[in-house]
Amino acid sequence: MDPILRIENVSKTYTGHKALDDVSMEVPRGSIYGLLGPNGAGKTTLIRVVNHMTIPDCGKVWFENHEITSDDIYQIGYMPEERGLYKKMKVGEQAVFFARMRGMARFEAIDKLRQWFDRLGIIEWWDKKVEDLSKGMAQKVQFIATVVHEPKLLIFDEPFSGFDPINQNLLKEEILGLRDRGATVIFSTHNMESVEEICDDITLINKSHNILSGSVEEIRRKAGGNTFQVIFSGDRERFISSVNGKATLIGDSEGLIGGYTQQKIHIADDSDIRPVIGALNENVNMRSFQEIIPSMNDIFIRAVNGTL
Amino acid sequence: MNKIGLIVEREFTERVRKKSFIITTLLTPLFMIALMVAPSLMMMKGGSSTKNVVVVDNTPGQFIGSKLESGETVSFRLLPEGTTLGQARSQYNSPDIAYGVLVIGSDILDNPQNLQLILNDASSMSVEDNIRNQIQGILRTERLARYEMDNIDRILADANVRVGIQTLKNNGQEDEEEGMEATSTAASWIMGLILGMLLYFILIVYGQQVLQSVIDEKQTRVLDVMVTSCKPFDLMMGKILGIALVAALQIVIWAVLIIGASAFIMPMVMGDTGIDAAMAAAQSAGDTEIASIVGKFTNVGYLAGLFLELLLYIVGGFLFYASMYAAIGSAVDTPQDAAQFNGIIMMPVIVAIIVMMNVMNDPNSSLVFWCSMIPFTSPIVMMARIPFGIPVWQVAVSLVVLYISFFLMTWVAARIFRVGVFMHGKKPSWKDLGAWVKMK
Repeated sequence: MDPILRIENVSKTYTGHKALDDVSMEVPRGSIYGLLGPNGAGKTTLIRVVNHMTIPDCGKVWFENHEITSDDIYQIGYMPEERGLYKKMKVGEQAVFFARMRGMARFEAIDKLRQWFDRLGIIEWWDKKVEDLSKGMAQKVQFIATVVHEPKLLIFDEPFSGFDPINQNLLKEEILGLRDRGATVIFSTHNMESVEEICDDITLINKSHNILSGSVEEIRRKAGGNTFQVIFSGDRERFISSVNGKATLIGDSEGLIGGYTQQKIHIADDSDIRPVIGALNENVNMRSFQEIIPSMNDIFIRAVNGTL
Repeated sequence: MNKIGLIVEREFTERVRKKSFIITTLLTPLFMIALMVAPSLMMMKGGSSTKNVVVVDNTPGQFIGSKLESGETVSFRLLPEGTTLGQARSQYNSPDIAYGVLVIGSDILDNPQNLQLILNDASSMSVEDNIRNQIQGILRTERLARYEMDNIDRILADANVRVGIQTLKNNGQEDEEEGMEATSTAASWIMGLILGMLLYFILIVYGQQVLQSVIDEKQTRVLDVMVTSCKPFDLMMGKILGIALVAALQIVIWAVLIIGASAFIMPMVMGDTGIDAAMAAAQSAGDTEIASIVGKFTNVGYLAGLFLELLLYIVGGFLFYASMYAAIGSAVDTPQDAAQFNGIIMMPVIVAIIVMMNVMNDPNSSLVFWCSMIPFTSPIVMMARIPFGIPVWQVAVSLVVLYISFFLMTWVAARIFRVGVFMHGKKPSWKDLGAWVKMK
């Protein structure tokens, strides 16, 4: 499918500091796209480039198969990391104001907003002032204000920060729902668990470079590198001799409670795993045989440290 | 345009609904009236207790002291002839016994400075005035008596002429009655001063609100959300126009209150005859100036015309200054950072105030004329000139220049704004601002 957003060789230098260096990425339409990276890696700059808030020194941004213009930003919903709401304004009025700013008619906006407020359980806050809300409440308001006009592309900067686990889940559900209704979602986050749960694809930026891009599944499988964990009982020597030539051992074996032993093995990338399983099955009492898929957390740390 | 309208609506309704707006709008005229009335009230009510002054009169026969008349302000007590200052001071040494000791020198008739007032209490203007006036009167009579002329009082009164100029403005109409309008330099000046200060107040107060509003949004990051929903220019214009509307509403309310007060309340309080009587009294006292002020402030048509001009200058001047303030607000992160730029904006305003003070000397001097044309100073200076009766073409040219400048300034400000709103961190230099304007 054609990408909704394509970033081509974008670079941006602030005085004496390169925020983005030749970054490219493609965001597939209808996907949830994670933008990862350590603090100060350049994620927010990249988001600002997409939002037309920062003009890149070189490189291009394509939106819907044309070079992005300032008019396209109305089709993008953006929730900045540092939440911005008018403190003295009433919540409902404010949400209506933002919705109208993005082209909704007043009554349509009120209608839709009330549904959203209801769904996220903040309808009774409609007439309260923003300064009276808790941080999480304000986040919800901001989230609604970002999505209510149903833009094609949604960009959330750290959407989960400041939420308790219950509300994080609520938000995840809503983000998945938005995607199912056709929106494309980009979000930047440090929360790797949420990446595993909801992201289809990711880009990892480190030190202003794109160091890793692709679908989450593929990246994790690749990072696992055909490594398997076997838990068995029986003679360790027989285990070793049975995998000999078909796989290599990784590290030492580990004794587990109940007389079981755990051992990691690596199988050559293009080879079949069935002979390994067959040989093991004959020689030891195999309890489990499982591919090791590293967590995004591991991948993140290894990628940033250059050990992936 | 639609978005500008939305932003204007938000700025306007949010501000107008604030309690502080309602309070300042209603209280400011009251406050101004209080400011005008308070001094005379205090004069009337203040110094209520009568001050006791003991008098040591060293003139032969105590001819001064014996003629001093006690009244509400001062009550005199003449000490017996021969009492020395030392005795009087030691006897009347506290404010409870006497307010002070007045010592009249023996040669006072020839040396009118030989008069001392030794106080036990804080000095009082009204007491001093009372004593000075009384003794002046006594000395005058005594000196006149030396000439031994009959009717000298009447002759002097006759010679003592007070001239009152009735200044009229030739407005070009042929008719004798209609062709001239009464003006008064002093009245015009006071009027001009009030208008100039009002304009100054509005430029600064509301201009600062634009600055503050942009900085606030930048700090709360609302700006990030806003600029992803509209063009920076829309945002800037929306803010400026929204706040301008608030200012306009406030002026209109004030105008209605003041015009209403002069059209209905003053005649009601004083009665039609009251005003005429006040004017007649002022005129008969030779004070055409006061008569003219009273006349002007009760002329609804004149006030309405003045408010129209005021409104035009306020709108133009405000838009001109507000766009500068908006540009600065966008370029900095904190009010502290804005202070330096703010100072630069204030300079022409202060120049305008100084020039405004010079308008009375010659409302048509070249300095005043040019300052009322240059947009940086024209709103304040021209507003101060208008009550003197300025040719319409000058006002028109000045307004046109102001409005063209406003468009140019807005263009420059918008270019700074469009870059500034996205900048965080380091305070930009003038050079940076220049570069932003040129940036494509």
